[in-house]
Amino acid sequence: MQNSRSLALCHYWVAFGAFLPAVLLGAWQMLMRSPLPAPLDDPDAYYASVTLHGTAMAYVLTTFFAMGFGYAITATSLGRPIRGTVAAWIGFVICLIGTVMAVVTVLAGKASVLYTFYPPLLASAWYYLGAFLLIGGSMIWVVLMVVNMTAWKRDNPGRPVPLAMFAITATALLWAWAASGAEIELGGILLPRAFGWSDLIDAALGRTLFSVTLHAIVYFWLMPAYIAFYTLVAEAAGGRLYSDTMGRLTFIMFLIFSLPVGMHHLLADPEHGSGFKFVQSFLTFLVALPTLLTVFSISASLEIAGRHRGGRGLLGWIGALPWTEPMVLAVGLSLVLLGLGGFGGLINMSYAMNSMIHNTSWVTAHFHLIFGGAAVIMYFAIAYEMWPRITGKPLRSKRLACWQLWLWFWGMLITTIPWHIAGLMGQPRRIAIFDYSIPLVARTAALVITSVIGGLVLLVAATLLIIILVRSHLGERVLTQPLRYALAVNPPHQVPVALNGFALWNAVLLAVMVVTYGYPIGQFFFLKSHSVPAVQVTTQEAASGVR
Amino acid sequence: MARDRGLFKLDNPWPRIAWWSTAGLLAMSLILGFIVLGSEQQNGPTLGTWAAICRALGVTADIGPAGAPQPPLRTPSRVAWTSATLSQIASGDAEHGAFVALNCTACHGEKGVSQAGLYPTLAGMDGIAIYKQLDDFRAGKRSWGAMNAIAQALSAQDSADVGAYFASRTNGLPLFVGERFQAGHTLREDNPAIRLVFAGDPARGVPPCAACHGPGDHKLGAPQLKTQQPAYIERQLAAFAQGFRQNDISEQMRTIAAQLTPQEMHVIAGFYGIGAAGAQITRR
Repeated sequence: MQNSRSLALCHYWVAFGAFLPAVLLGAWQMLMRSPLPAPLDDPDAYYASVTLHGTAMAYVLTTFFAMGFGYAITATSLGRPIRGTVAAWIGFVICLIGTVMAVVTVLAGKASVLYTFYPPLLASAWYYLGAFLLIGGSMIWVVLMVVNMTAWKRDNPGRPVPLAMFAITATALLWAWAASGAEIELGGILLPRAFGWSDLIDAALGRTLFSVTLHAIVYFWLMPAYIAFYTLVAEAAGGRLYSDTMGRLTFIMFLIFSLPVGMHHLLADPEHGSGFKFVQSFLTFLVALPTLLTVFSISASLEIAGRHRGGRGLLGWIGALPWTEPMVLAVGLSLVLLGLGGFGGLINMSYAMNSMIHNTSWVTAHFHLIFGGAAVIMYFAIAYEMWPRITGKPLRSKRLACWQLWLWFWGMLITTIPWHIAGLMGQPRRIAIFDYSIPLVARTAALVITSVIGGLVLLVAATLLIIILVRSHLGERVLTQPLRYALAVNPPHQVPVALNGFALWNAVLLAVMVVTYGYPIGQFFFLKSHSVPAVQVTTQEAASGVR
Repeated sequence: MARDRGLFKLDNPWPRIAWWSTAGLLAMSLILGFIVLGSEQQNGPTLGTWAAICRALGVTADIGPAGAPQPPLRTPSRVAWTSATLSQIASGDAEHGAFVALNCTACHGEKGVSQAGLYPTLAGMDGIAIYKQLDDFRAGKRSWGAMNAIAQALSAQDSADVGAYFASRTNGLPLFVGERFQAGHTLREDNPAIRLVFAGDPARGVPPCAACHGPGDHKLGAPQLKTQQPAYIERQLAAFAQGFRQNDISEQMRTIAAQLTPQEMHVIAGFYGIGAAGAQITRR
């Protein structure tokens, strides 16, 4: 693991380095939207902040975290040095340059287009170039994951790829598929317009391409959490993984079912007929299969651990679990948040029910529960698990780490439950200022203030995370146990080739993508074009002068 | 695991299950999305398979601006005031017209003076107005019981002849010629009938009746109304207002009548019917 240590650590630090200021921005945004007085009460600053918050969380934190996690897994699970470390460092530098370009452009007020950068909103070319480099640089990581897995398979013919490596390769492939939409949109639509090579912008095609990215990216965010569920949780709880095959099937299903579903983000889009909206909405429900498989499998693994530790009776094993272990606590909290967020998601993806909550705070609440809740809380637990292994310096206090997880859990619930309710009351999302003197808006005031309190709790929890990690860094180096992945109840000696690689599944996915996205994207080339003038958000001088 | 060799061969159960289940899921979602969901329309008839698929793709004819629903083309009258029409009417033979007019006496009274509120007096009416109404009845542009059948039995020349005959009668409606519009009838008049007939109501876009129907002025094709059957005038105003009668070429009567209250229609009809327009003029 020698050559991967600094690689993984650098990625983790960039991820969490972006995370803390992004949480601060998020807390300020909550305050800005509330009836309470907020510092820097300026809508332009609000939209710049939302863009920065989204970009930092959705692209920087997640991509860097997944890359670092991937390198750590490659080294530890395959038990041999990573191939292509030079390429990995080049990828890291490209991603870092992209991040800096995007962040500086947003800070300069030239790119308040939110992280979804929907055209015809048009930002400075530097922002798009930054996003393009950040996402494009991570493709080097994708290639390295695939190269390392295939090289290991070649050297170990007939042996099953370790589940952790199999899963992180699935994550990498998922990210490559997902990123293709945004990269084509950036390279084909947004950058040419931002450079001034074209006058118009095909907004409808841009939205459709981004929908390829927009849902799968959520599973890219969640995948590290699922990898931890399958490979780290059972070990931390002192038990065994219930089924290795279930794990492989889960990651294969995530790869296939997270992609041909993005149009459920476009259910209100006028450029698409009802047919493909329904088809993709229908396929979205299939994501429940790997999710429920995971909940079952992890519960079973925890039960094995609990009974091994002396738990008796129908539910006695739950109490017997080592809840003071951050990884075990995190999985419990994460599954609660995932459950709540998942039920909200059922509303979002249902063709008919979606219209009740479309573009309201409900949606914001939903993806904060899933990503900010279920996924990020596992990122913390992974960091607590990985840090001592990478640095050789253990956490000073696991108690503090558990406190941090609890704080984040409650902060997320206090923030998002009122948000859900406000969304049902019709509060729109992506709005900087609410006039609370209007009776309809005033009804949401108490809910919004409650969310502000939740935001502050989250800010405390995020600060605590950094404190815990820095304290570990400042500690003494001691001999730590190497990272061990959970052993399955029946460790696989041989698995079907279909469950040991991704060739078949990539072919299936390609076919499904052609069926589900061929017409929705193709129609813009042979039936209609929806090029419209772009709306520059880079030249706000006149407007801000009036204020 | 001999069968586990070919990852893309269908005798290996994994790719077989993968492809078949994927195809099954796609087929199920496509059938549900394109045929079942596509055929159901709110407040509309259930579509056929092909129409449902097109609608689900978003390529139906009723989307796009070019496909916006258009009302069917409808002309209020076949008559246009061309010189050919006007010269045909002017050449009407009153003698032959008198023979044709024998068809009219049963309803419109002997010598064209109506004794019943349902039927208008024709004696003294402008030949141009009679010609146009007969053509509209003939073409189905105006509907009234027996008149459509009677008009269809007449030729265009018959219409001109019968128009010339009634126009030559002096025992009915007064001629347009010789009457002058009298000054002094203004917007401030208390009597609503006088106000509407001579000044109209500019606030509602209602022009004065007299501007076309006399006394004092006359527009081509508009019949004189003085001493006409008041019940007939009132019913025609109501028919224009409700859209039952639609043969006014420029939609002027439909527009005006729609602005009038039933009470106003009543007083206007009464004002014209008893010849009060003339009486009023003489009072001043």
